[in-house]
Amino acid sequence: MNILNIAWKGIKTDFRDTRTLFFMLAFPVVLMLVLGSALSNTFGNSLPVDDIHVLYQDTSHSDNFNQFIDAAEKSGIHFQKVTETINPQNEVKQSKYDGYVEVTQQGLQLYVNNGNSIEGSILQGMLTSYVDKYNIASEIMKVAPEKLESAFTHKQKDDFIKETSVLPNKQPGSMDYYAIVITTMIVLYGAMSSSSLIISERVRKTADRLIASPVRKSEIFIGKVLGSLVSNTICVLLVILFSKLFFKANWGNHLGMVILVLLTEIIFAVSMGIGLSFLTKTSAAPRIIIMLFVQLASFFGGAYFKIDNPQGIFKFITELSPLTWVNSAITKMIFANDLSAAIPAVTIHLTGALIFLLVAVISLQKREGL
Amino acid sequence: MNVLEIKNLTKKFSDFIAVDNMSLTVAEGEIFGFLGANGAGKSTTINMIAGLLRSNEGVINILGKNAAKNSRFAKMNIGMVPQDLAIYEDMTAYENVKFFAGLYGLRGQELNERVEEALEFVGLQDKHKSYPNSFSGGMKRRLNIACAIAHRPKLIIMDEPTVGIDPQSRNYILNSVRKLNEMGCTIIYTSHYMEEVEEICSRIAIIDHGKIIAEGTKEQLKSIITNTKDLWIEVKSTEKVNVESIKAINGVEAVQIDENLIKINSDTGVNNLNKIIEHFINSHLEIRSLQEKAPNLETVFLTLTGRNLRDQ
Ligand SMILES: Nc1ncnc2c1ncn2[C@@H]1O[C@H](COP(=O)(O)OP(=O)(O)OP(=O)(O)O)[C@@H](O)[C@H]1O
Ligand SMILES: [Mg+2]
Repeated sequence: MNILNIAWKGIKTDFRDTRTLFFMLAFPVVLMLVLGSALSNTFGNSLPVDDIHVLYQDTSHSDNFNQFIDAAEKSGIHFQKVTETINPQNEVKQSKYDGYVEVTQQGLQLYVNNGNSIEGSILQGMLTSYVDKYNIASEIMKVAPEKLESAFTHKQKDDFIKETSVLPNKQPGSMDYYAIVITTMIVLYGAMSSSSLIISERVRKTADRLIASPVRKSEIFIGKVLGSLVSNTICVLLVILFSKLFFKANWGNHLGMVILVLLTEIIFAVSMGIGLSFLTKTSAAPRIIIMLFVQLASFFGGAYFKIDNPQGIFKFITELSPLTWVNSAITKMIFANDLSAAIPAVTIHLTGALIFLLVAVISLQKREGL
Repeated sequence: MNVLEIKNLTKKFSDFIAVDNMSLTVAEGEIFGFLGANGAGKSTTINMIAGLLRSNEGVINILGKNAAKNSRFAKMNIGMVPQDLAIYEDMTAYENVKFFAGLYGLRGQELNERVEEALEFVGLQDKHKSYPNSFSGGMKRRLNIACAIAHRPKLIIMDEPTVGIDPQSRNYILNSVRKLNEMGCTIIYTSHYMEEVEEICSRIAIIDHGKIIAEGTKEQLKSIITNTKDLWIEVKSTEKVNVESIKAINGVEAVQIDENLIKINSDTGVNNLNKIIEHFINSHLEIRSLQEKAPNLETVFLTLTGRNLRDQ
């Protein structure tokens, strides 16, 4: 009961604080709008989609695929039978064709050029609906120019089959992209306000009154954390809702799961704020640390601009940012229906939260007062 | 019954001993004053009683029960008015009192009534919806008190509740303290203002360097330090005053001339007022006024601790 009392008080005052509201609500919305519209050109979903050329070979002895070809022709996708004289994989590799489809009695295999070309994606999407319709086993090979051989010899079946669910209209547009990365960034900034949860009570001396009341320290702590979690969650839900309604951002078909992942990030951020506030002596120090951390994490996590295929040491740095993981998780959940992609992000969040909470609880037990 | 018993209480901040083997008893119905200079250890003692600080040694009993072992019981029965304002600036006066009273298990209708009662008690009934940042220093102090009394504690501890406020608010607070006492609350009152303590406290402890150096009613305290009194005689002109002959009067210890005022310090054991007046008449000194100055607590304090109550 006291826990709820304390949590409720925290929520109430959070939403009275215009600074918090600006930072948690107005700031992300404006940022989405600015980045989402300013950088929309760098996102390729407005490419013209005519003139897609596909090679195919059909040994299925059924008429289904021919019907598909006729239908596809109307959308500007031209299929051409493989002739003896050409090597279809090479053609795809050299980008002379956008894809090569092999239809057999066992199923269907698609080879597309590596690099997520928009044509390749559209092809995948078309074929997926075809495959779904006739319930045909399917595989997609991404033909990396330098890895052509290995892609054929070791069939990393699982990885490839997953790609069948990528639909052409489900490539993230710039607004979709920034809705995700700005939301996850703002969640991380939630650590700022939670870093002052306990410190502000100490500064205002209300900590003394709380301790003088017949409420256990653990109840105060849990109440404060709970209140902060709820406030942050409400803000995030509002941001999601706003971006969905007014920016038409795509939050996918698994919104509940996406929110769950965001919730683990909120838990991580709130715990980080509290943990840091117990690790440092001044009240300014945790804010500075969080500010720096979130800025770097945002930069390398793709919050300001998309980072495509980072290599080497740069890749390693991006992987240090928790935002990289959660952004990739949510993107895959939304655009590839891949719920298992959430696992690394959730693991990182909960492990981090646990460590920071332990730090806070241990220091709290040692302290006299809050 | 004793509301508070302290036995051999000691508090150290690393090597520094802030409270040194202190023992003390406060009975039900008392207004007990803590008098001490800056850093004497008043707040530290009070904070241990309220459960904010852990003692290094000693026992604190609240209403006969060991406070460390019955912390919930002790805290339920104590209302703490901290030295520093402890209120939320981002909540209204009403919400502040309600939040803290709610921590004592009050709910619903009863909670609302108690909050009203507390706000009315400190004269803030018109300020329910106001935020503390629109309050004067005195109003904030009063809210600080309201937050401590809504749960009707048996023991109210006030740590300098009148610091830095206007005389009107101060009177209001002093009256509230008396009223709370009449309603059955036992009160521990800390102050720098000697007059306040002298005015409202039934018993006083003088604290210095973490120790109680004197304890009792104000009369008892005054009698400890002094067996002399001051007689101030104002005359028309001090030209004809002969200091030596006044000093020769039995019992007179010292004579000081301050403009038209002759200050005579004299032994309380000797009744020499007649002789002094006689001397003035014989010397043709025209007496304008005559005052007997009893020692006040300030002098008691100064004599006992060798320092002023306030750093000035
Ligand atoms: N947390 C602390 N750590 C170290 N020393 C402390 C701490 N709290 C108080 N002290 C020291 O203990 C002594 C007593 O302090 P306390 O606050 O009890 O004095 P006080 O009598 O209330 O003074 P004031 O009239 O200024 O409020 C002071 O010398 C103070 O510096
Ligand atoms: Mg003090």
